[in-house]
Amino acid sequence: MIWVENVLVSPGEGGVYGERMMKEFRVWDPYRSKLAAYYYLGGEFELHQDMVVLYLGAANGTTVSHVADYAGTVYAIEFAPRPMQDLVAVARRRNNVIPLMADAAQPERYAPLLEVADLIYQDIAQPEQVTIAIRNSIFLREGGRMLIMLKTRSIDTAEIPGIVLERSLAALEAARITVLDTKWLDPYHKDHAAIVCSPVSD
Amino acid sequence: MQSYWFGDVDEHGCAPYRGGPEALGKRLESLKFSPATFVPFDWRDAGTCSFTHDREEYIRKLRELCFYLADAGITRQYESRDAELLQMVRTLDQLDEVSNVLTERALEWHRTINPAFSRKYMRLPKQKLLPMMKRGGSPAFRQVINEIEQLASVRTALMKEVSRRADDVVPNCSALLGGLVAARLVSQAGSLATLSRLPGSSIQVLGARTALFSHMRGGTPPPKHGIIFQHRRVHNAPKEVRGKVARVLASKLAIAARLDQYRQEIVPEFIEIAQTTIDNAGRTV
Repeated sequence: MIWVENVLVSPGEGGVYGERMMKEFRVWDPYRSKLAAYYYLGGEFELHQDMVVLYLGAANGTTVSHVADYAGTVYAIEFAPRPMQDLVAVARRRNNVIPLMADAAQPERYAPLLEVADLIYQDIAQPEQVTIAIRNSIFLREGGRMLIMLKTRSIDTAEIPGIVLERSLAALEAARITVLDTKWLDPYHKDHAAIVCSPVSD
Repeated sequence: MQSYWFGDVDEHGCAPYRGGPEALGKRLESLKFSPATFVPFDWRDAGTCSFTHDREEYIRKLRELCFYLADAGITRQYESRDAELLQMVRTLDQLDEVSNVLTERALEWHRTINPAFSRKYMRLPKQKLLPMMKRGGSPAFRQVINEIEQLASVRTALMKEVSRRADDVVPNCSALLGGLVAARLVSQAGSLATLSRLPGSSIQVLGARTALFSHMRGGTPPPKHGIIFQHRRVHNAPKEVRGKVARVLASKLAIAARLDQYRQEIVPEFIEIAQTTIDNAGRTV
């Protein structure tokens, strides 16, 4: 990851969503992007040039554009038509972004378009977020990683976030996925946790 | 054998599928996958397949297809009958907001021009207040008042159109609820398809999010009604049966929404029975 004077940046063409520029680099705001927040909080899992990333919940493509600056190829999945329009616009300017309009909960619908991924990044507001991540883990290369941005309030509004996280970790372990690291994204994002995990290889 | 977007791959090699994005899109829809047997395509094993020369070209062709699919998908979503109704009713509600904010500000302005402006006028409806304020003030001030009045007439026209459109798109819900409130219900749910999948109990509290979550978190009393409170039979009902009316109405709306989504026409037999049930719920013994 590239840091300029303690500010996280990414190399790429600017002007995607009005982000600030620093010495030809695009400033990556931790308050807007959960992935940026993860790096600000000392996240160790880094993106690199030859990675294929499956990005679930691409939304308007702001974080996608930063991921694409670092990674090799990004398959960006988004379901809602309005953000999809923005995502398509972002993807047109970045040759390594492949926009897919599909429901992340139904991987069989977009399976033939994908390739084996080195990283699955998930940021979706769904109560079944963890189940969806597990279902998508079939696309992961052996030894590949999953980075789940857990929205505890979308999973259960009434429950204490810590308990939601515990339950989610248990669900992952039950699906034979080893949790390597968890991080709360405070103060950048309230009640959000980052989970780094990897399926156990047979 | 595994099928991918570009063709079929088996142990003998690969059979590329020839055709443009449109044909490929059609082919994709016909493919069936089960997660149990699916092997994701690995570019590193692509040596056996000679449909493209290098990865750059692979990605270029795939992107071409995906842009085509995304554009088609977006268009399909916006073609649904409720998409425009949604925007219309949201515009209507926002017009109200704007006009109220402007009126309040103009009133404050008017009071500095005319300090004797009595508080008793404050209770006047907007339509009477505005012409009264227009008598004094600078040309700019009068211009603002004119604009507010103009907004009001835009709103009236839009409201009629929303009702008309709602009668067409959600005929059964409109018959029970009136076009405007029915349109707001669809807008709050996000789409008619979503609304038609909601249970009555959710429809009952649609639009009462704050009250609902404060109930779930802190044990405050649950909300009795959300948007459907705007319907006359709910807000005119005596307080002791208001919750009951809301509940009965909401459960009938759940059925009506499904009729609207799947039959797309009014069902008089259902409406008749439903209206009687709702009216009966409002009777106090």
